[in-house]
Amino acid sequence: MGILQLIETPTKESGLLEWILFLATKYSSTFLKATWVTLYIAVIGTILGFLLGFLIGVINTTKISPEDGPVKKCLFRFAKAIAMIYMEVFRDTPMIVQGMVIYYGLRQGDVLITSAIAGILVTLLNTGAYMGETVRGGINSVDPGQKEGALAMGMSHTGAMFYVVIPQALKNIFPEMGNTFLNNLKMTSVLNVIGVSELFLAAKTAGGSYYKYFEAYLVIAVIYFVLCFVFNRIFLAAEKKLEGRSDYEIATEYLEEN
Amino acid sequence: MSEVVIKVEDLRKSFGDHEVLKKIEFEISKGEVVCIIGSSGSGKSTLLRCINHLENPTEGIVLFHDEEVKNTQRSLANYRSRVGMVFQSFNLFNNMTVLENCMFGTRKILKLNKEECKKRAIKYLRKVGMVAYINARPAQLSGGQKQRVAIARALCMTPEVLLFDEPTSALDPEMVGEVLKVMKDLAAEGMTMIIVTHEMEFAKNVSTRTIFMDNGYIVEDESPDILFTNPKNMRTREFLKRYMER
Repeated sequence: MGILQLIETPTKESGLLEWILFLATKYSSTFLKATWVTLYIAVIGTILGFLLGFLIGVINTTKISPEDGPVKKCLFRFAKAIAMIYMEVFRDTPMIVQGMVIYYGLRQGDVLITSAIAGILVTLLNTGAYMGETVRGGINSVDPGQKEGALAMGMSHTGAMFYVVIPQALKNIFPEMGNTFLNNLKMTSVLNVIGVSELFLAAKTAGGSYYKYFEAYLVIAVIYFVLCFVFNRIFLAAEKKLEGRSDYEIATEYLEEN
Repeated sequence: MSEVVIKVEDLRKSFGDHEVLKKIEFEISKGEVVCIIGSSGSGKSTLLRCINHLENPTEGIVLFHDEEVKNTQRSLANYRSRVGMVFQSFNLFNNMTVLENCMFGTRKILKLNKEECKKRAIKYLRKVGMVAYINARPAQLSGGQKQRVAIARALCMTPEVLLFDEPTSALDPEMVGEVLKVMKDLAAEGMTMIIVTHEMEFAKNVSTRTIFMDNGYIVEDESPDILFTNPKNMRTREFLKRYMER
């Protein structure tokens, strides 16, 4: 609390910087908590959304062959239909509206859902709908010969996808996955409408108490920027790691023992 | 007469209305090296892909040791793990190193222990002269090197038959030789092979039987001495004549 006492309540004559510093320190715990909420909703929602997206991408790229049994055919047709409807609905409506509909809809249906859980749900469903298409594109970008190579050795379709196709698709769509996460991190701001205490709501509260909205939103703008900047660097580093080394070592140890 | 390994009975394949293979009867015995020649679009590659069921035959069956290869996951997996395939475009797994490529099948499909997988990989990579490159990734190799790794990868499964789908067609002339040499060595060791190829010299010198395909039919199935010097069929003669004129 030491720093709090150092900064006096600014007066009418105080400058912009003073107000920003004042709000940032006075509401530091609110902003910190809100940053944490923003982060965990974005991270959990995105990871679950990625999993959902991969599932949908795989379903949509699986071809139904005429030789398949009737049960398998029906199952896949059904799954594809569900996936199509889901993607259409979530890509054709705004996230802010989805938040309202899901939160208040569930509440009216007597499902006691917290706004944070609803926020994660909205983020994951939104991410899944877009990722489904990204993953489909990623899988289609892998040369069909890669899968054939695995099949021709006796690998199952699932195994070929899991060991050979998806790792390569993942590498191809990695930059897009980074984009999606950054987008989600910022889009959590719309969740203030269902009362999620994330950064936007924190700024609204802090700014509202002193009628200093511009200053309060500048504070969270900086926080969003720093978060995104840091994650961007992490993604770039991870991408580089994923690419692997551009050179290789000649295995001389096996050359000698002829 | 030695044991028949693969037999194809009344095989037909259509893509839509277009019939690519018409009533194919074919068999290969242990130790035979069969080269399939013919112009592009004659159905050679499709036949090879039907033999290991990468394309499902529209009609007819493939027999492996007198047993029908059924279109079920288990039957196919067992059959394919005993019949290796080498592709025109190599199809090495781009997300793995050379060593991982060669250990993939033995590890994940035959489920052998790690030491055995590595031992085999090293053994066959040495055989094709690629053992120094175990740490490389496919993208870092030349075409000829990739194809030699692909052959080693197929050999690691210790297959009974090896299928080659135009293995040298994507290579520049300098690299064709190194791949053909590996294949020649395999033939000399008695490996049973079916090879779709445009390398006439190779077919003439290495195969024990040569098949000429045209327009979805097997036109001629002869020993190479006869097929290349004294073909019976008009189409075969035309094809070979045009080939020699180049």
